[in-house]
Amino acid sequence: MTSVSSLIRVLLPKVQVLKEDEAREEIQRNHSSCRAKDVTMPAKLPVNFFSTRSPVIDLFRGQLDYADHLRQDSEIVLYFFYAPWCGQSIAAREEIERVASRLSDQVLFVAVNCWWNQGKCRKQKHFFYFPVIHLYHRSFGPIEYKGPMSAVYIEKFVRRVMTPLLYISSRSKLLDFLSNYEPGVLGYFEFNASPQPPGYLTFFTSALHSLKKDYLGTIRFGVITDKHVAEEISLVRSGSVYLHRHVNTSLIYPNDIMNYTAENICKWALENREMLIRWLRPHGGKSLLLNNELKKGPALLIFIPYNPLAEIHPLLDEITKVALEYHNCNKSQAAEPDLQHLGDTDSPAFDSSVPDAHMKLSETFSITKYPCCNTVVLPQWHSISRTHNVCELCINQTLGVKPNKVHVPHCNFLEIEAALDSFYLQEHTFFQVISNTIECSNFLSFYSPFSYYTACCRTVNRHFLSFISSEKTIFQTPKVAFSSHGKKGNTQHSIPHIEDRNCFIPDLHITGTNITGLSCRTNKTLNLYLLDSNLFWIYAERLGASRSTHLKEFAAIVDLKEEVHYVLDQNRSLVGSTLENFIKNFSILYSPLKRHLVDDPSVHFHEQRVITEVTTNTFHDTVFLSEKNVLLLYYAQWCGFCASLNHIFIQLARLLPPDNFTVARIDTTRNDLPWEFMTDRLPTILFFPHQRKEQSVKFPEDFSVNLPNLLKFILHHSSLSSSEPCTKECLHKETVLQQGHISHLEREIQKLRSEISALHQAHDQLEAQLSEARREEHRLQQQKHALEKQHKTLQLHSEQLQATYDQKNQELLEMAEKLQELADASENLLKENTLLRILVASREGRLQSKDEIKESLQSEQTLSEDNDVSVSTATATLEVKRIDNIDTIETEHSSGNRTE
Amino acid sequence: MRPSLSLSLSLSLSLRPRLSLRPRLSLRPSLSLRERVRAMFYHAYEHYLESAFPYDELRPLTCDGQDTWGSFSLTLIDALDTLLILGNVSEFQRVVSVLQEGVDFDIDVNASVFETNIRVVGGLLSAHLLSKKAGVEVEVGWPCSGPLLRMAEEAARKLLPAFQTPTGMPYGTVNLLHGVNPGETPVTCTAGIGTFIVEFATLSHLTGDPVFEDVARKALKALWKNRSDIGLVGNHIDVITAKWVAQDAGIGAGVDSYFEYLVKGAILLQDKELMSMFLEYNKAIKNYTKFDDWYLWVQMYKGTVSMPVFQSLEAYWPGLQSLIGDVDNAMRTFLNYYTVWKQFGGLPEFYNIPQGYTVDKREGYPLRPELIESAMYLYRATRDPTLLELGRDAVESIEKISKVDCGFATIKDLRDHRLDNRMESFFLAETVKYLYLLFDPDNFIHNDGSVFDVVITPYGECVLNAGGYVFNTEAHPIDPAALHCCRKRKEEQWEVEDLMREFYSLKKNKKFTLQRAADHGEGERAKDPEDAPSEKGGEKRNFKKSSHSLLSCPSQSFNSKLAVLGQVFLDNT
Repeated sequence: MTSVSSLIRVLLPKVQVLKEDEAREEIQRNHSSCRAKDVTMPAKLPVNFFSTRSPVIDLFRGQLDYADHLRQDSEIVLYFFYAPWCGQSIAAREEIERVASRLSDQVLFVAVNCWWNQGKCRKQKHFFYFPVIHLYHRSFGPIEYKGPMSAVYIEKFVRRVMTPLLYISSRSKLLDFLSNYEPGVLGYFEFNASPQPPGYLTFFTSALHSLKKDYLGTIRFGVITDKHVAEEISLVRSGSVYLHRHVNTSLIYPNDIMNYTAENICKWALENREMLIRWLRPHGGKSLLLNNELKKGPALLIFIPYNPLAEIHPLLDEITKVALEYHNCNKSQAAEPDLQHLGDTDSPAFDSSVPDAHMKLSETFSITKYPCCNTVVLPQWHSISRTHNVCELCINQTLGVKPNKVHVPHCNFLEIEAALDSFYLQEHTFFQVISNTIECSNFLSFYSPFSYYTACCRTVNRHFLSFISSEKTIFQTPKVAFSSHGKKGNTQHSIPHIEDRNCFIPDLHITGTNITGLSCRTNKTLNLYLLDSNLFWIYAERLGASRSTHLKEFAAIVDLKEEVHYVLDQNRSLVGSTLENFIKNFSILYSPLKRHLVDDPSVHFHEQRVITEVTTNTFHDTVFLSEKNVLLLYYAQWCGFCASLNHIFIQLARLLPPDNFTVARIDTTRNDLPWEFMTDRLPTILFFPHQRKEQSVKFPEDFSVNLPNLLKFILHHSSLSSSEPCTKECLHKETVLQQGHISHLEREIQKLRSEISALHQAHDQLEAQLSEARREEHRLQQQKHALEKQHKTLQLHSEQLQATYDQKNQELLEMAEKLQELADASENLLKENTLLRILVASREGRLQSKDEIKESLQSEQTLSEDNDVSVSTATATLEVKRIDNIDTIETEHSSGNRTE
Repeated sequence: MRPSLSLSLSLSLSLRPRLSLRPRLSLRPSLSLRERVRAMFYHAYEHYLESAFPYDELRPLTCDGQDTWGSFSLTLIDALDTLLILGNVSEFQRVVSVLQEGVDFDIDVNASVFETNIRVVGGLLSAHLLSKKAGVEVEVGWPCSGPLLRMAEEAARKLLPAFQTPTGMPYGTVNLLHGVNPGETPVTCTAGIGTFIVEFATLSHLTGDPVFEDVARKALKALWKNRSDIGLVGNHIDVITAKWVAQDAGIGAGVDSYFEYLVKGAILLQDKELMSMFLEYNKAIKNYTKFDDWYLWVQMYKGTVSMPVFQSLEAYWPGLQSLIGDVDNAMRTFLNYYTVWKQFGGLPEFYNIPQGYTVDKREGYPLRPELIESAMYLYRATRDPTLLELGRDAVESIEKISKVDCGFATIKDLRDHRLDNRMESFFLAETVKYLYLLFDPDNFIHNDGSVFDVVITPYGECVLNAGGYVFNTEAHPIDPAALHCCRKRKEEQWEVEDLMREFYSLKKNKKFTLQRAADHGEGERAKDPEDAPSEKGGEKRNFKKSSHSLLSCPSQSFNSKLAVLGQVFLDNT
């Protein structure tokens, strides 16, 4: 979002782009003209990713050709394609090394840097993520591993690739194979006839092929070589392939319809396999896995720690058994014929459930006599709960006048609620310390004289009592329960016999239904899922699993459509029977399961806190039980509109008289609340006036949230009884109020005092600044004076300079004039010179003529010599003069240049 | 020199303990990652001080400095509040005094109005507001006065000439000494027009001079008025004629922080008008540009796809969505963007979605913060470990690819990880800051209101630092409470005082009528825009229909409990 220049270059028309680029370059030139431009650096050369001592061969220069070459040496090869910068590759490196150290004698581990752009790997492969793990079984491959990047899972998968087929050599091994919860495919091949029976290779390949499709390896492949063992599952012909199913009838591969190819076998097995219970393994990338699965209907998610390498999984076996029972719809048809005639030892867990079932049946009988019954789980804080915690509450209309004999097919919810009301009134009738017995009582309806209720209570599980919440709540809550019994207002929902989360879900044995085949009999069919809590515990935490438990076992039923979820009490060990009861309780009409409300355990109470932080657990106490007016803010930390209101609520909480008002808030992202207290927008502000807590009011949304508005809102809705005539009590109240007011005013005065002191300080500061400014001004003034003086002297100076300049100029002019004169003079001289030359020439001419005359007049010789000398000296002087003249012209020229 | 460097790097790498995936990133690795981020910061910061200061930026390959966006020691200003977030109080104090002496805005430099605002004004404002927390001795009038605030104001005043256009939309460039140059291009990008309200409104509220907020609002309104019939804005507009020069509409380069500031302005100022603008845009963006949780570029008038690319700059969008409560969509888009990171070890400037590869000439990654920023916001909302994983990947990539002797270098080409001789100032201001905050959930920036400071100012008592910091687009946090400190009108105080008297009296004789949101504090605003009547009317009508406040987030749905580790849920509708 920051670079404008880049986007300009992208999206503007060409002209604009050029302009911008030029401008940028110009800037560059301005600022760094002398520095090197466009310095870049190639990426660093690849180095070892794995240590040299590692059992993994590290081809860090991406030598894919060499990697292919290596493959010929080993039966099983694992390729780890990585990018050295990739966090996931770095994290997976350690896991790969761990696997390699365990399997290096059987498997060749090759790591290839598939990022370096000079390497072969990068040039040939195009990966969208790293690391990528490919496995080869001889020439078969690549099989991509897409499971969790954890050593145990990778090792399991590698082992699967090493031995895709299990050899079933005996009946007991067959039984083991078939009793597994994951679907199994068996092939029968007669090895006596030939070492490579027809179809065997295809079957083997299909086992490998299935690992490609189904990288979790949920379908297991086995091969039977013994005729007698094969007969146990009625396989006679060598080459037949069998898909084992627990609930539905098992299948034999239809050779006549489908071609016998590896792909087809694989496809057939995947399509027809039974999914009684499924592992959910989100891969971490964007996925709709949970969306798709949970939208199918309510789901039971079971979190168990799972080690794929472990030989036995006792807990998993137990869960499988429950799942089998749950899905076993045709009891009469004997869903497991082969298992039953083979199965000699069923686990003891299964046995134990049988007597249970009998007990339940008898109970059902006694209950069904009543036309309309409901199970009530008593909240712990009820006094009765000391002895009993589960009651069967039935409405019986047959005792009275019998207005008609219309059979009520199912319970009217209102009736049950009315019965509950009456029941709580009557609960003192059970106030005897008896446990382990069923105690019944009849009482008349609160609303109708013609009907009466029967309540039979008993203690289901004594150790529940240890989870009773604190003493305080025991004593406080009943009071509220009774105080509101007279009204049929909506607050009754909040009396938490339905939603109270303090009450753990008990395993009730009252349904009379066995879990066997329950999935077909109920209209709330559950899908069962397993999650490895080593990898996916975060989902459990999200559903309310406690963070402190060491044992990472957890079960929850999630109903996405109804937006509810139920959890299995984490204090109970996760075993088959608890799970069964959990499922049963979910399935029955008027399920005793209560919507689980996740709360935030990490709330730390800060000392400075003026706002009370409410959680799911403290909601009721803080809002309903407190004797104050409560202003409750629903917020979420991520919501920008909430966070920017923090300071307003802090101010409000500091302002309101703390004796009468609580300012509270609840983080709705981390704390669930009963439906009636949920909001769909954040922030939401609710006001619960004292004494009328059920009449909460909402701060109107179209008003701005500020201090005056909030105060008005509170004032408007908090009626501190005003119309009544003033009694003593009222006077007392008034004095209390006045005292409050006085203290408020005192606080206010304190504030004002500090404000005054702040103002004083500010004043002082200003004063100081002013005086400093004055000093500064003075200083500046002085400086100005000094500058002016300087200016004057400078002016003088400049005048002087001007004068000297003029003078000099004058001198120069004079000089120039003189020079000009000189030049003129020299010119004159030149002229003279030429004149003289002419003169000389004429004289010479004359001399010659004189010579001639001389020759003729020999006698006159002595006289003419004198003349000759004088003429030669005259020419010599003339010569000298001429040279002088040239010199002066030259100097004149150069001086002229200078003056220019 | 280079080979020896890579050798030493590899050595240090093999010695360092690695994190394992089992258990997935939990608290302890995130602590060690936090410390690695801290080390990254100091590696870059110290080299900047050593080799580049007082230039704007460090050039990490040549170990020297250069001026880029002006000449204000930009990296130092930008990194200032990161120092405090890292807990380095003493260095913060030192830098504050250095800046007070060293930075001069009276310089003959052509500066980008947008960049100067977000980096310089924003950086100085946040440093000003945090200075008390950092132990700097503040003036009595703080937070309504102070040297850093004066500097911020001075810098902002230098930008004001750019806003003097017929439309109120600012020029893109201004000369800090002479104002707008004659012959300056009137073409400005949308973000360059709409990215002022956070800084300018803060300035106005702190200094009491409304001119800043007014010009920012006027520019926002002008953009709103010029949106197309289908409700989209283009990329570049002529600020004189109000004609769209580049008509590509999207959420990325050129537009990005306009949308961001509509939301953040609405949050900071509790302003319904800004929010209603954003929600209208949001609708159009969803209708026309969103495909399979990607956002493409479309023609602003026709809505036809013009470029099927994802831009690195667009990665802020999920973070913005999470601020207004659209967490599900935010997470889905984020996961898309994360796949691109996994492919290259960074986000290319442009990524062609159908081809699944970079776009020619746009393969660089200048260590931008946007994806990490979104991860930080989303982590607040979901606590999803996937987001920490992105953080881990970012730390690994940046350290492995771009760390050099003198700092961290821009990646010139993500295909081969060639490096460029530049370290943008946002690397220390944003990238490192968001990374650190991602791994430091207890940082004071994440304060949820459970702690706060009370400051006595000459204007009255003031609650500050109560959380809810609004980051400007250069990751400079602004405390929204500070905006109510200085201009606190006396009438409101008296009103509160009157109301408090009512609490202590037995007789209620008044009817209390609440102030409409529209009347409050927006009186002066409601008058100026020409199209205000129609807008307001429309807004009111919407209001009735939606029946919930615009300034609120939806509660998270039930399935959000399970929407972690890559799981996404489709709407039930």
